[in-house]
Amino acid sequence: MSFKRVLLANRGEIALRVQRACRELGIETVAVYSDADRDALHVRNADIAVHIGPGPALESYLVIDKILEAARATGADAIHPGYGFLSENPRFVDAIEAAGITFIGPPASAMRALGDKVSARKLMQEAGVPVVPGANDIDANDIATATAEAQRVGFPLLVKAAAGGGGRGIRRVDRLEDLEAAMRASGAEAASSFGDATIFLERYVSPARHIEVQVMADAHGNVRAYGERECSVQRRNQKLLEEAPSVAVTPELRRRLCAAAVAAAKSCGYRNAGTVEFLLDRNGEFYFLEVNARLQVEHPITELVYGVDLVVQQLMVAAGERIPDFDEEGPLTPRGWAMEARINGEDPYRDFFPSLGYVEHFEAPLGPGVRFDSMLFEGLDVPIYYDSMLGKLIVWGADRPEAMRRMRRALRDLVIAGPTTNVPFHLALLDNPDFIAGDVHTGWLESSFTMPALPDPDPRLQQALVAAALAAELGRGPASSAPASVGSSNGNAWARAAQRQALDGRTRATGARGWQGTAS
Amino acid sequence: MARHRFLVDGVEHVVTVDGLDGGFAVRIGDAEPIEVQPTVHEIPGVVSYFEDGRPTRAFVARPAQGFNVTVNGRRFELRPPSTSKRGRGTVGGQTDPLGKVSAPLAGVVVAIHVAVGEHVEEGAVLCVVEAMKMQNEVHAPHAGTITALHVEAGARCERGDILVEYDPDEVPEA
Repeated sequence: MSFKRVLLANRGEIALRVQRACRELGIETVAVYSDADRDALHVRNADIAVHIGPGPALESYLVIDKILEAARATGADAIHPGYGFLSENPRFVDAIEAAGITFIGPPASAMRALGDKVSARKLMQEAGVPVVPGANDIDANDIATATAEAQRVGFPLLVKAAAGGGGRGIRRVDRLEDLEAAMRASGAEAASSFGDATIFLERYVSPARHIEVQVMADAHGNVRAYGERECSVQRRNQKLLEEAPSVAVTPELRRRLCAAAVAAAKSCGYRNAGTVEFLLDRNGEFYFLEVNARLQVEHPITELVYGVDLVVQQLMVAAGERIPDFDEEGPLTPRGWAMEARINGEDPYRDFFPSLGYVEHFEAPLGPGVRFDSMLFEGLDVPIYYDSMLGKLIVWGADRPEAMRRMRRALRDLVIAGPTTNVPFHLALLDNPDFIAGDVHTGWLESSFTMPALPDPDPRLQQALVAAALAAELGRGPASSAPASVGSSNGNAWARAAQRQALDGRTRATGARGWQGTAS
Repeated sequence: MARHRFLVDGVEHVVTVDGLDGGFAVRIGDAEPIEVQPTVHEIPGVVSYFEDGRPTRAFVARPAQGFNVTVNGRRFELRPPSTSKRGRGTVGGQTDPLGKVSAPLAGVVVAIHVAVGEHVEEGAVLCVVEAMKMQNEVHAPHAGTITALHVEAGARCERGDILVEYDPDEVPEA
């Protein structure tokens, strides 16, 4: 391994994940951190840590110059971007390479080719990768062409702005009569937002599963596809539980998906880890969606069923080495079943209202087939500036039923006191007949799933009252002695903890206050 | 014997505790006493005990007042009854004093939709607090007239900070 010191341009669990891989390979790690992350685990766990600014990511983790300066100052020879933040920013890659540092990820040229929706679509068509049937490059005023193309594509379809992004300029059209109005609206929006009134048409594939294929490419022209992940359980485009493999993918379909993913990676000179996302419809037809040009949150489930360490491979490939044990003969066969539940600081009983704050108690689940990638520790005050993911609970089982049993068990073993988490959601999901049958699509969660009501009365309330009364008694001093005042100098550990929290001045009163949350 | 009063979601619970040899008799309200033997209690936060021989555990934090107790994934906030006033239309026992609206969570105030002197209806959006990339609308608990704004757009707020004060149109019934 040619790297001596790698800088992690990220935070949270993914920074820790990459640090672990580096440590196993004997590479030193450099952490960067904002004011809000001064106490974070990824800072304490690093060999060197560099402060890069205030809490908001726009002033710290997203500032290319600050990351580069930290790399220069510490003599890092490579930078791993993690996911999110700058991970898919080609200007970041350009700047790193201009500084003579290795970027652990794809080339900027591949990011640029894949980042533009229409150019990516054309690239894939040329490479023989199935794309959603559609028509490119239509002038928003050319109704005649659009009508002919729409009839070829079929309804329902989506009218999209070629230069759009973030869902802007997208309209669903169910009937030919509505096409003209949708084109005018999309074209006008595109012209005013992007200065380009070009639109394209795409068949609306629904219901569809979100199936993605992990790829790894080295600098020697080798591209390996590591099978599929099923990510259809989504809420507002956020994945909540992923699994590998997918119940909907046969070995034959897997072979075709992997071949398409390899072709997609080769079409743009891709290197390092990436994910090719597809929509899979009810008839088993799949269509290219996009490429995520980075390591993904859900990469561990692929690691478990293929017995690989994708971060180690990223480091090796970035250092110019070949993909280990490369064999061009078809896709590898997954072994067993893996699932990942994203543990978020969100209250599933209050429309997933975000919940954060001080972690009062934390116990990670352990035991066979269980992995918990997380940045939690007791005493962490979860910062407000970043996302709500507190950890990823990943399990492996010999088959899907065993993976589900393990996940239920591990979810119950996980203790996070302080922030409210979505653990009850995951437990309810694992008991849902549609989910058990694997009969889900990307719209399923929002259209068909409802949280079961809390039990009323809840037997846990009695336990809470008993525990609080005991804590009050025990906090006064030895259990058998006469009550002493809380905070007396000869108090036990409880009394000292109470004193410390009181000095802390933390008040954590919550509850409905006549406001409601709407997450957007 | 010790008597504890806890307010949970607006309902008061009385828990009496009698010391026994090696344990306690705990009684909730008028129910039959439960015999409990604490096991782990020297570790702050953990309360384990046998209830009629069955092991049970909970995690107890002590905020400035009362206890936050987590049992099997559910968290309960136990408060002394005297500190909490119930307001109209609230779900839990915790509520803002009449005429004030506090931040539901720590975050950054990204938008303010009202001005001093403006009249708002119940449920109107007063401002938006962003945390963890989520936009959380803060709504008016009652109809009334805004009398003071304590934040500006872009400012950071802590949970419980008073954001807005208002004159309610009518005094709600207690």
